[in-house]
Amino acid sequence: MQANLNRYSRQILFSEIGEEGQKKLRDSKVVLAGCGALGTVIANNLVRAGIGELKIIDRDFVELNNLQRQILFDEEDVKRNIPKAIAAVEKLKKINSQVKLEAVVADVNFTNVEAVVEGAKLLVDGTDNFEVRFLLNDACVKADIPWIYGSCVGSYGLTMNIIPGKTPCFRCLFETAPLPGMAPTCDTAGVINPIVNIIAAIETAEAIKYLTGKFEALNKDLITIDIWEGSFEKFNIADRRDKFDCPCCKQRKFEFLEAKQGSSITSLCGRNAVQITQKSIGRVDFQELAERLKKSGEVTFNKYLLKFSIDQYEISLFLDSRAIIKGTNDFSVARGLYAKYIGT
Amino acid sequence: MTTSIKIPAPLRKLTGNQAVVETEAETLIDLISDLDKKYPGIKERIYDGKEIRRFINVFVNGEDVRFKDGIKTKITKGSEVSIVPAIAGG
Repeated sequence: MQANLNRYSRQILFSEIGEEGQKKLRDSKVVLAGCGALGTVIANNLVRAGIGELKIIDRDFVELNNLQRQILFDEEDVKRNIPKAIAAVEKLKKINSQVKLEAVVADVNFTNVEAVVEGAKLLVDGTDNFEVRFLLNDACVKADIPWIYGSCVGSYGLTMNIIPGKTPCFRCLFETAPLPGMAPTCDTAGVINPIVNIIAAIETAEAIKYLTGKFEALNKDLITIDIWEGSFEKFNIADRRDKFDCPCCKQRKFEFLEAKQGSSITSLCGRNAVQITQKSIGRVDFQELAERLKKSGEVTFNKYLLKFSIDQYEISLFLDSRAIIKGTNDFSVARGLYAKYIGT
Repeated sequence: MTTSIKIPAPLRKLTGNQAVVETEAETLIDLISDLDKKYPGIKERIYDGKEIRRFINVFVNGEDVRFKDGIKTKITKGSEVSIVPAIAGG
């Protein structure tokens, strides 16, 4: 065994990987989009497993309420108020100095997503909203880069592999995002760390299989897990690719990349506020959203407008899902707040 | 004839936290309407007035209803109906 592979001896002893598989891992570049709960577990696992290169992109800073589940961060990171991608890379360097690590502190959007995925052998999903996943799906399908979807909320999680040309893509399964406010998020419904670990573990296992060339072992189904009730289910989704005329992977219309779908964002000059407009059609159910938000901050609504205050920010949401976020001029902060509390 | 529908955790707020709901419906659309009678609001969440919403997947005995008969898909005794909503957290 080569000297620099000694640290992976227990993984190399696993016959499905072996020394050959370990070398393939070492020669792999992976992009991790999102470095929160799922992302920190995935990054920790992939770096310990010895991939060659990991690029981590995330727009957020470390906060105290992250530490319950985001395993690469600690109280010192909160005090230093540093970006998650930077804090993660600092930790990961101490874990495995052989891995080339890159931190990108940025919001993934239609202007940069193709550059984010460029050169990756695989992209792994640690993001927290639908819009970025539709963007990543467009970019990966267009560039023929496989990606692994994972998400969780409460005690429930989902994961599937997207191998362009071979499996259904994300849009084959979820053609549109839920209307704003319709889906629970970790910031409105909470999340417990075991479901994060198990979904991130499956994503890691699938990444290792793919990167070591064990394609026949890859999961082909949509997996759902509820860790509280102990359920694990697999749904056969292979038909989706053949039978559904998917706008993305069949028609090759990359509507999110071309900003024909998704949101647009503008700064409201001089007001320390940002406006987010959704291109999806649909009206928001204020009553239901208010019910969800009241645990997190102050919320009021009438027939036309819902107002929600959290920390120094105030979100004014209109019926057509347009929002004005006061208290920031920073697009990534505004997008983050929208994803966390309105949820799309 | 009753069939058990498993309600996934993200939708259980609408069923008063019930994880399993019984129905005697014989088609998927009747099942959804029956659910809505017991738990008002759940129909709108799953169904857009014409079809199952495009961010929800429904499987009957593991088969995707979109490639069976959509909302007219038959439900027989002992069928397993699973609703899988898209979720975004991470």
